[in-house]
Amino acid sequence: MSPFFRLLAKRLGTSLIVLIGVSLLIFAIARVIPGDPARIALGPNATAEAVLALREKLHLDASFLTQYGYFLADLARGDLGISLYTNRPVMTDIAQFLPATLELVLVSGLMMVAIGLPLGILSARRRGTWVDHTIRLVTMLGVSAPAFVWAVVLMLAFSYFLKIFPIAGRLSDSITVPSMTGFMLIDTLLAGNLRAFADAVWHLILPAFALALSGIGQAARLVRSNMVETYERPYIEMAEAYGFPEKRIARRYAFRPSLIPSLTIIGLDFAAMLGSAFLVEAVYAWPGLSRYGVAVILRKDLNAIVGTVLIISAMFLIVNIIVDILVSIINPRIRLSQRAS
Amino acid sequence: MTNPTLRIDDLRLGFKTWSGTIDVLHGISLHIRKGERVALVGESGSGKSVTARIVLGMLQQLKSARISGTVEFEGINLETLKPASRHALRGTAMSMSMIFQDPTSSLNPVYPIFTLFREVLQRAEPGIDTETARRKAIAALADVAINEPERVLESYAFQLSGGMNQRVMIAMALANNPALLLADEPGTALDVTVQAQTLRLMSELVEKHQTSVLFISHNLGVVREFADRVYVIYKGNIVEQGPTAGLFDNPQHPYTRALLSAVPRITGGGIPDIEDDPAQFLAPLFAHQGYSEKELLK
Repeated sequence: MSPFFRLLAKRLGTSLIVLIGVSLLIFAIARVIPGDPARIALGPNATAEAVLALREKLHLDASFLTQYGYFLADLARGDLGISLYTNRPVMTDIAQFLPATLELVLVSGLMMVAIGLPLGILSARRRGTWVDHTIRLVTMLGVSAPAFVWAVVLMLAFSYFLKIFPIAGRLSDSITVPSMTGFMLIDTLLAGNLRAFADAVWHLILPAFALALSGIGQAARLVRSNMVETYERPYIEMAEAYGFPEKRIARRYAFRPSLIPSLTIIGLDFAAMLGSAFLVEAVYAWPGLSRYGVAVILRKDLNAIVGTVLIISAMFLIVNIIVDILVSIINPRIRLSQRAS
Repeated sequence: MTNPTLRIDDLRLGFKTWSGTIDVLHGISLHIRKGERVALVGESGSGKSVTARIVLGMLQQLKSARISGTVEFEGINLETLKPASRHALRGTAMSMSMIFQDPTSSLNPVYPIFTLFREVLQRAEPGIDTETARRKAIAALADVAINEPERVLESYAFQLSGGMNQRVMIAMALANNPALLLADEPGTALDVTVQAQTLRLMSELVEKHQTSVLFISHNLGVVREFADRVYVIYKGNIVEQGPTAGLFDNPQHPYTRALLSAVPRITGGGIPDIEDDPAQFLAPLFAHQGYSEKELLK
């Protein structure tokens, strides 16, 4: 088996264990929260018989382990149960709401890398100058406030006062495109509607940027500090002694080696955006997983809570696997030790 | 007589700090003729390494550095050169290159040796193709007695031993046939037997190529074996200069004497008592008969 697939298999295996652990934990927590899910679902006017019948149907009176057993058996078939809030399979709900969240997070992650890395590199190359000081100050601002604060501030500034960007939503009301993937940027392109695509981008920029800001700041600061540290290494002096161009030294001698420690943290930051996305979605009325998540928690919709948390954990783990693979690609030490084993 | 490869005259260096200027070099003069191996010996902080970095033009970019005096490379005054042409003297063909203390950490860890080697060769020949670069690198590694050059070229620095990396460094430093090699405490990070081995190799190669060497060290044993002439530096002043044998057999300056008596003898007696009277170490420069700058540069 090639070392790449060995790594992948190993990571997938450990991820599965983590997922089972998470499911057990959230399964337990959801059941400890006070309140009777059947009663909440049926409303105050339901008869005691109806409530009892629903409890029976949901196996709520069975022991915890029996309930978990039912859950695992269903999960193995790809069934997360029925949501008491929407009366639809939880899988269907997630499939509907997740793409909006993913789209937001992916674009934010892209911004984080595309803006954060160059800022960090520039800051490190011009370390000690006013360029460096300015970048550090600005990125400090990005890091020092949570995403939902930026969401409100940016909305006020650019949507309310300057009226450059729309206030909320994914698409203007006047435009409709058939939903195929749930990703608005892809759907509009599939529909061949460029005006709709531009509209979707226009709606996406502000929330994505608000969500990305702290990530941009983190990435820039991290890349800068790791790169400045690498600039103290003897191989930088050697590269200078050999008269390599400054740009080449920055890219191949300072940035490349420093990327290895940076990448792991940037990956975690990216995954953490899934959590912050909930609040940004709330501010921009973004029809993603957040509204669904909050609603099902308040209604003690057990299946939906467990399903939502599991999906988010799975996303986290997938991002981690991708980062692990990337690190093993850029770090020859790891790559070679895998080949040897 | 032709111009020496390197001539330093009255070189002064100070660093500006918040509390005034700290003088590091107080006007040192030295020179190296073609094919000559000259050692600059002194303790830590005496100004050896900064001298090499000024020659390469690496300290000039520091805003806090105050440099005056003359540095001439093959008759060209480096201070009159534009930054670009100055930069062009580093690592290119027939110019200067440098070897560092710790070979393993002086090699970029994320690229294999061949990639690093090709970058060095590109300095002399920007358009060099992969095949030519590989052939040249293999030849250069064979010169430093590496048995499997192909395997070494595919390896990363962390996969090779310190001695192997030192050979790679020497091969890289000499690959473009430099006129001047600056060796800053080469191999100090290695164990003594490996250091001796690689230095002998370097010695043979520079002799073959007629490379001039500025050899910077605090290790008197190594200097004695390697250098033709010696300058002793103490607190930014050259305090004694002369031929290696003459200076070691008949040290004249109090500091040189103290330095020589500080070498522990393997025959016993432990660490020797060192006469430690810094005041007399500041006695003026002593040049051995026929070895003053004036006499040598006639």
